[in-house]
Amino acid sequence: MEYLSSGKILIVDLASSETREEELEEELISRKIGGAGVTTHLYNLYKSHDPIVVGSGLLTGTLFPASDLSILTAKSPVTGTLCHCPVTLKAGIEFKYCGFDYLVVLGTSAKPVFLWIHDGVADISSAEEAWGKDVWQTTDLWRKDMGDDLIQTLVIGKAGEMRSDLAQVSVNYWGSGDVWGFGRLFGERRLKGIAMRGMGLLEIANPEGFVESSKKLLSAVKTGAWKGKAGLVDILSSIGEKDEADWIAPLVHRNSSSYNVPYAGNTFLYLDEDPSLLKEPQGAEPGLLLTSPYGLLAAKALGLSASDSLRLMRSCCRYGVDPEMVALAAFRDGKKTREEIEGSFGLLERKGDIPWKQPFSPMCPQKPMFADFSVGGDPKQIEKWWLRRQALAYVFGVDPLFAGMSPELTAESMIEAVRIGSGIDISEDALDGLIGELCG
Amino acid sequence: MGIRVNALMCTGCMACEMACGYHRDDAFALLSACIVTYRTREKKDYFGVLLKEEESLVIARPEGLEVRRIGEAGGGGDSSAKPMLLRESCDLCAGMDTGPMCVQFCPVDAITLEFSN
Repeated sequence: MEYLSSGKILIVDLASSETREEELEEELISRKIGGAGVTTHLYNLYKSHDPIVVGSGLLTGTLFPASDLSILTAKSPVTGTLCHCPVTLKAGIEFKYCGFDYLVVLGTSAKPVFLWIHDGVADISSAEEAWGKDVWQTTDLWRKDMGDDLIQTLVIGKAGEMRSDLAQVSVNYWGSGDVWGFGRLFGERRLKGIAMRGMGLLEIANPEGFVESSKKLLSAVKTGAWKGKAGLVDILSSIGEKDEADWIAPLVHRNSSSYNVPYAGNTFLYLDEDPSLLKEPQGAEPGLLLTSPYGLLAAKALGLSASDSLRLMRSCCRYGVDPEMVALAAFRDGKKTREEIEGSFGLLERKGDIPWKQPFSPMCPQKPMFADFSVGGDPKQIEKWWLRRQALAYVFGVDPLFAGMSPELTAESMIEAVRIGSGIDISEDALDGLIGELCG
Repeated sequence: MGIRVNALMCTGCMACEMACGYHRDDAFALLSACIVTYRTREKKDYFGVLLKEEESLVIARPEGLEVRRIGEAGGGGDSSAKPMLLRESCDLCAGMDTGPMCVQFCPVDAITLEFSN
């Protein structure tokens, strides 16, 4: 692969501490396109090793609108099925610019390790110092040790180390779309995390054509129904959760975007500072970032105040646990206060709670947001629509949340961008076939 | 004529950075951009935009705009700004008929081209 790609697959064997590179062949891309299409292919190729696969889409890290996404694909230790976790914020493009399009992790390490991937180099490094630390401490430690505050991490906390079913793989400091216990998978492999920093360069087959086409698409996207809206408050309102929107609104500090995503879908809430503060706060850890409404509704259902619910979610971020599963388990176990729940993080279990059966993360609401996608009101049609939009996003490397609010981002626009940017022609039939495979 | 950044409208998406990098390298890369998202204080939710101009470093932060003369004491901002001093200055995307790329690719119109008298 010459364009929109570094052309390399990194294979890491934790058992032997060896790494090797393989060429990413254009023939594979022609068949599986990219993103979840290729991560699924790589999972099946190494299926006997039950690998953890990370990958990016052909459009990830480009100027195509909302091109922020990389994907973590693995078999869930909870559901036993192959699932795809979105890697957003700035971590998705950091992976793309690290020098590898795909990463396949095999085996189990004898001792705690982490992968340090940067500029086409991959190191399996000791994580002895980080083992036992929470998510925030670990990301801080690696950024400090490597002397770069822009390092992005996929990391587990104590929950993953303890192999809890509720464990998440976190992104930097924050919760992710991992609802499948991938955190436990990392813990079982003694993989504390993946630290990424990339300063690579992606060549474009037709640079002017790609940029011109992206610009035109952005102009159309900017007039979309999401215009004038921002953050989780507006998302919650759009999906009929006005009470929850009003509940968190007083604590909202600022909304921000993942890489190149027009909608500022990430909301930072200040818990220990004035949310209206418009200068650098004194405290080092004044609040938390929420990247989806997922978890929030379950936390509210516990009957805690907004402040206590969000403090609980911040503790979940640090411990590396799925907040919705924590809320469900706490409710079932009769735990009523924040302190009680935080004190039982290590003891909470799913006990059969597997509320999500789809291969894509529920971090993106399962209905259109703001825009009219002409889906109608039939729940089966809505589910079909949601799966197809998610599959498109996960294949091409487009933000899955924005895919649910911008009908301007069509399959045709993604196919055309790939054709101009890489010179590879993808037929709609081939794409439909792949989406069918991914959606089961 | 110059670039103006509204830090309160900015959502920190980095599209400006990539667009600028494209102008420099004719490919997608971030390393040579003269406009960058200031994002080293992630846990504090404190972000803004840095722009290197010919003689100054423009720092657009939530509390307001600051312009520091390069070469003067304190010029160049904190440690996160230092790599900026090694980069080429903004040329308003000279040679591109459509004007500065960062202006065109900002999805929330936080970056504008200002004309002075």
